[in-house]
Amino acid sequence: MGAYMSEKKYTKDHEWVSIENEIATIGISNHAQESLGDIVFIELPSVGNSVKAKDEICVVESVKAASDIYAPIDGEIIEVNNNLENDAAIINQDAENKGWIFKMKISDSNQYSELMSEDEYKQFLEQ
Amino acid sequence: MPFAGFNMPINYKTGIINEHKNVRNHSGIFDVSHMGQILIENNESYLHKLEKYIPLQLNKLIKNRSHYSFLLNKNGGVIDDLIVSNIDIKAKSYLYIVYNASRKKEDEEIFISCAPNAEKIYNKNCLFAIQGPESINVLKNIIDIPNNMNFFDILISKYNNNEIIVSRSGYTGEDGFELSIPNESAENLITHLLKNENTMLCGLGSRDSLRLEAGLSLYGHELNENITPIEAGLSWALDKERLEDENLNGNKVLSDQLKNKLSNKKIGLISTSKSMLRDGMTLFDNNNNEIGKITSGCFSPNLNKSIAIGYIISEFNTDNLIFCEIRKKLELVKINNLPFVKKNYKKNGSIYE
Repeated sequence: MGAYMSEKKYTKDHEWVSIENEIATIGISNHAQESLGDIVFIELPSVGNSVKAKDEICVVESVKAASDIYAPIDGEIIEVNNNLENDAAIINQDAENKGWIFKMKISDSNQYSELMSEDEYKQFLEQ
Repeated sequence: MPFAGFNMPINYKTGIINEHKNVRNHSGIFDVSHMGQILIENNESYLHKLEKYIPLQLNKLIKNRSHYSFLLNKNGGVIDDLIVSNIDIKAKSYLYIVYNASRKKEDEEIFISCAPNAEKIYNKNCLFAIQGPESINVLKNIIDIPNNMNFFDILISKYNNNEIIVSRSGYTGEDGFELSIPNESAENLITHLLKNENTMLCGLGSRDSLRLEAGLSLYGHELNENITPIEAGLSWALDKERLEDENLNGNKVLSDQLKNKLSNKKIGLISTSKSMLRDGMTLFDNNNNEIGKITSGCFSPNLNKSIAIGYIISEFNTDNLIFCEIRKKLELVKINNLPFVKKNYKKNGSIYE
C-alpha cells in the first residue's frame, strides 16, 4: 500500500473502493466473486463518462448470472482495466487487486467516508 | 440454491467450468437423488392405462433396456419427460421410471391412478449419475459392469450386498451411468468412487451447461404442457404406431403435426460477442420483427462462447440474420445445428424385441 493510499472501503452492492490522490479504484469484493462463480465476460464502462453514485455503469457476466456494477460514488471514469477484456477470470483469481475494474476521479470525498470499513463489511455479510 | 424443494449445490469448490471440463475429459459425479423414481408392476392392465399418457408400446419394451419418453396431456403437450425401463427385480418384472423432481406431484397422480400399488423408491434409494468418457474405468472395479453393456441398457448389480439399479445413461451427451442405490450404502459408494483422482462431485450448474451443449431439452425450458414432443423436435422419441391409437392422449394433434407444417421450430444459437444468451431473451429479424425466444442459455466451456436453445417461427428463413436483445441492445447471434458438441454414447440397439 502506498503512503497516500487510503483504507479499502466496501459498498452494500459488494464493491470495494480505495482512494489515492482523489482517484478511486473500484472492483467487486472477494465475497461477490465467490458467489458469482466463474466470470466469463465483463462489459467495461466508457472512459470519460460522468456518473452518479448508484448508477449502473457496467455488467459482470458469470456462468450463473449477469450482475450490474454500480458507481459507488459520484465522479468521472478515467481508466478501465483492459486486461479484463480478454480474461475476465482475473476477477475470480484476485478480485481485490489485479481484478480492479475501473478508476474514477471523485468529486465528493464525503461519500467515500460513508462507505463500510472492512470490519463493517464483514459484519454486513454475516447479517 | 433451492431447486424443486431441494437445497442443491450449483457447483462444488472448483467451479462450474472446471466441473464441466472434467466430465467432458474424464468423469464427474452428480447427486440426482432429488429426481423421482418409481416401480410399476409389469401387468397388462396397468400398462394399458399408462399408454394413455406414454407414447410407447409398453408391453413390447425389451427387458433391460431404457427409453426416453413423455407423459402427454390430452392436447399432446408434455406433462413431463422421463426415462422408462423394463427390468426384473427379485424375479418380478417392473417398469422403472425416472422423472423430474419439479413434476413429482403431476406425474405421481398419473402413475398412482394407473397402478395403485406403484412404489415410489426415491425416499429409500439415492440416485447418482457418473458421466464422462472415463466413467466406465471409475466404476468397473467397484461394480460389476458387463463388457457388452450399451447406452440405455439397464441391469441389477450389487454393491456392499445391496442390489442396485445400474443404467448406462445420463444427460450430458457423454457415456456414463446412473446408479440407484439404497440410502444406507450411498455414502460409501460416493466415497469409494471419489477415491479415483480423476473424478469429482459436480453440481447443477455444470449439469445444465453439459446438457445444453449436448442439445438436450430441459423440462420447464424447452418442454412444458403447451409444447408437444413434435414441436420440441423430439418426434424421434414417439412410437409412430401409437399416434394412430385413440388410447393415446393427443394422438390426433400429434399425427396432424407430423403431416403438417409446425408454427415454431427449435434452434441452437451461438453468441457472436462475449455476451451471455439467457432464458427469456427475445429474438428479432433484421427488420426488428420479433421472431422467437430463448428457452435456455449458458456459457459453453467447450466452445468458449455463450450458446442457447430457443424457438422461432417456422417461416423464418435461417439464412437471414438473427438478433438477440441483450440488456436493451440487439446483438447478432448465429444459428448452430444441435447438438453443439457431438454426443459420445456407447452405441445402442433397437427399441423393441
